[in-house]
Amino acid sequence: MSRRVVRTVLVRLGTSLLVLWGAVTAAFVALHLTPGSVVDALIGSNTVTPQVRAQIIADYGLDRPLWRQYLAYLGRILHGDLGRSYQLHESVASALGSQLAPSLQLTLVAIGLALLVSTPLALFTARRRRWVRALSSGIELVGVSIPTFWAAILLLTVFSFRLGWFPAAGATGFGGLVLPAVAVAIPVTALLTQVTREGLERVLEEPFVLTARARGMSDAGVRTRHALRHAALPAVTFAGWLFGLMLGALVPVEQIFSRPGLGQLLLTAVGGKDLPIVMGVVLFTALVYVVVSSALDVLYLVIDPRLRGAAR
Amino acid sequence: MLRARRPAGPALAATAALAAVLGLAGCGGTDASGGTGSGAPVRGGTLVYAVNTEPINLDPHASPQDITGLFTRPALDSLVALDAKGGVHPWLATAWKISADQKTYTFTLRTGVKFTDGTPFDAAAVKANLDHIVDPKTKSQLAAGFITPYTGTTVVDDHTVRVNFSRPHSPFLAALATAYFGIESPASLKKGPDYLARHVVGTGPFVIDAFTPHQSITYHRNPDYNWGPEGAAHTGPAYLDKLQIKILTEDSVRLGALTSGQVDGIASVPPANVKQVKANPKLTILTREAPGGNYNYYPNTASGVFTDVRVRQAFRAGIDFRTIVRKLYFGTFSPASSPIAPNTVGYDASTENLGKYDPAQAARLLDAAGWTGRDAQGYRTKDGKRLVVRWSFAKAFAREQRDVLAVQVQAEAKKLGIEIRFADGTITELIARQVKGDYDLADFSWQRADGDALRNLFASASISTPRSFGQNSARYKNPEVDGWLNAALATTDLAQRSALYAKVQQKVLADGAVFPVYVFDYLLGANKRAHGIAWEPQAYPTFYDAWVTGK
Repeated sequence: MSRRVVRTVLVRLGTSLLVLWGAVTAAFVALHLTPGSVVDALIGSNTVTPQVRAQIIADYGLDRPLWRQYLAYLGRILHGDLGRSYQLHESVASALGSQLAPSLQLTLVAIGLALLVSTPLALFTARRRRWVRALSSGIELVGVSIPTFWAAILLLTVFSFRLGWFPAAGATGFGGLVLPAVAVAIPVTALLTQVTREGLERVLEEPFVLTARARGMSDAGVRTRHALRHAALPAVTFAGWLFGLMLGALVPVEQIFSRPGLGQLLLTAVGGKDLPIVMGVVLFTALVYVVVSSALDVLYLVIDPRLRGAAR
Repeated sequence: MLRARRPAGPALAATAALAAVLGLAGCGGTDASGGTGSGAPVRGGTLVYAVNTEPINLDPHASPQDITGLFTRPALDSLVALDAKGGVHPWLATAWKISADQKTYTFTLRTGVKFTDGTPFDAAAVKANLDHIVDPKTKSQLAAGFITPYTGTTVVDDHTVRVNFSRPHSPFLAALATAYFGIESPASLKKGPDYLARHVVGTGPFVIDAFTPHQSITYHRNPDYNWGPEGAAHTGPAYLDKLQIKILTEDSVRLGALTSGQVDGIASVPPANVKQVKANPKLTILTREAPGGNYNYYPNTASGVFTDVRVRQAFRAGIDFRTIVRKLYFGTFSPASSPIAPNTVGYDASTENLGKYDPAQAARLLDAAGWTGRDAQGYRTKDGKRLVVRWSFAKAFAREQRDVLAVQVQAEAKKLGIEIRFADGTITELIARQVKGDYDLADFSWQRADGDALRNLFASASISTPRSFGQNSARYKNPEVDGWLNAALATTDLAQRSALYAKVQQKVLADGAVFPVYVFDYLLGANKRAHGIAWEPQAYPTFYDAWVTGK
């Protein structure tokens, strides 16, 4: 391995750590800036005996100055310990672990669904007659604009309450995954279609496309064999970026469909000032971002052979 | 317990109405197979119930949540049972004696009772439970606060225990009847708080199979059960083979699940949808008035504009709370006239003649208080300062259209010349303000099946400080009222306690320390195939007597 590759990897690693540290610090500061002390938030609107109050403060070290709580937290993370939830009676790692699988499943199915629908849609509508494009972008605009929770409730009302095809909510297994995945996938599909089509249209203007056509290649062949590969680059970047944003979409969908997951975990934790959980989710999300963007860099090389030369 | 809810999102509520209309349109047609409570009970089947909130911690000894009480009641029995009139009945204890100084309670325990993990129920088990509740390591946020003078339990023999207090504490038996004092297996108590947060084992008519946070809890029948509370509709094991409670936090989803027949009953039907549910031939609405503090507004009597009793009295007289409530809820919730609900022990019915709407009197009171000027917007002023009421409110957490209600009150107050400004915030922010006393008006309901709820609401010891949170949001301090409330603690005689609580209600109303708004009813929507759903004193549904007929 050349020294340049080593240096690239090291820089990458360094910036990744910086991102993680920044995310954790920002979350810590933001949570402490919101009004109300942690112990009051944990006790809530209840009257507890002074002994219980003292026990809560002692258990979580809430009487220490903030900078010491912060340093202690960083120290624990460096040892791979995410701490314990203030409220859930389990470690942050186990809370994340148990809620991760359902969220990941939903995210992957939704993104898969979005790619599956948006790719042919973009291929079919790029550089077509005006009304085809207008219709498609109209639908996409609606798809992007309708709030996810609204789409979720509408899907439930039609496909569960009226037609009875799927269970309402709180169901495990494939039947319970369909409607939530569709709800999450709607805006993603709309955005991906737009990005992919724009990419396709740019490529279809290129001279090499004309050359391909002149060689007698069919329109479908030009689109799928040549143009799509070029257009895939921005679309993949975008899909990766969306993956990180997914947590936001998961919050209403998991709540409406009563699915366990990170969204529900985060929502309860933020409301109850359950700091260790919030920080854990933030750290995890930042980590996903770092991993996904690194994976994308590798993927670019696979998609676009021209970039391989640049890396060498 | 203050029934705080997780954020529902105001936008979601609007969609709820739409989805409800669509959902209901798909139903109707087939006849229901029976009415609630009719016919002979049938053994077998599963009842599925959907609720709107979820327990964070399943151990009722530690958790203050209403929903924890509901989730664990099927699995847990209490020593005594409470009826709607405040009468105490045998359950796991067959008899009890209170010492002359009211400091010692001696219970005779039922024999032949077994926890569902096989552990026998005995005096040691009762001691283990009470000691567990007060152990600081349990971090009890509710139960321990109900027995603060508790000094310990003595095991007299296998089936006799003596519970000792440092001073008389008359609310003890009523507290003991709640699920928060449900008797858990001592074997599982030994496994520590982490285990208990997910697993609860008792002697109850149902056994918990699995609790999946954010999703559901499932139970199966305890076949050995033969020790139901006195006052239940039947004896022996429960009728249902299985019971499932699902967590469906969105109102529209819960309602849709009910109308489409996917669940047999739901908690918290939105008041706006009650009519639609009633109109559906397959469904019915069951209601139960919740005892304790009504949904009330509390003026801050310690600082700000409401320190002047005349301004408080003017606010109560000048706003037609009764009409606003009747119009908004169409009779689903009735207007309140006392700080506590009519079915609370010690409720004073004569309060119903107080607090009549009288805008002329309100104007006179405000004039007398010196708020005589008027500014360009028509608000009253004194020394050039406008009469502004800062209302600490959590819009995103408002349930039962309390936000709509608040806006209507704001409009009525404007007619009086009072400007209401909402200080919107999260529950945590509201708590921070409550601790500091930084508000003029606060609103909440406080369910508790005992007149001692008045002590939570108005005792000077219950005013929030940075060191302890209390429910006395009016920050009301009156030695006379404190005296009555303490005297009520010292006697278990219901008539004597009621007389003392009546004095408290009259006094705090005369002082304008509370503006009663509405009496909260638990609104349960049920499919008519579900029968025999009963209520426990705190207005949670119970399923021991419940049964289902074919779909």
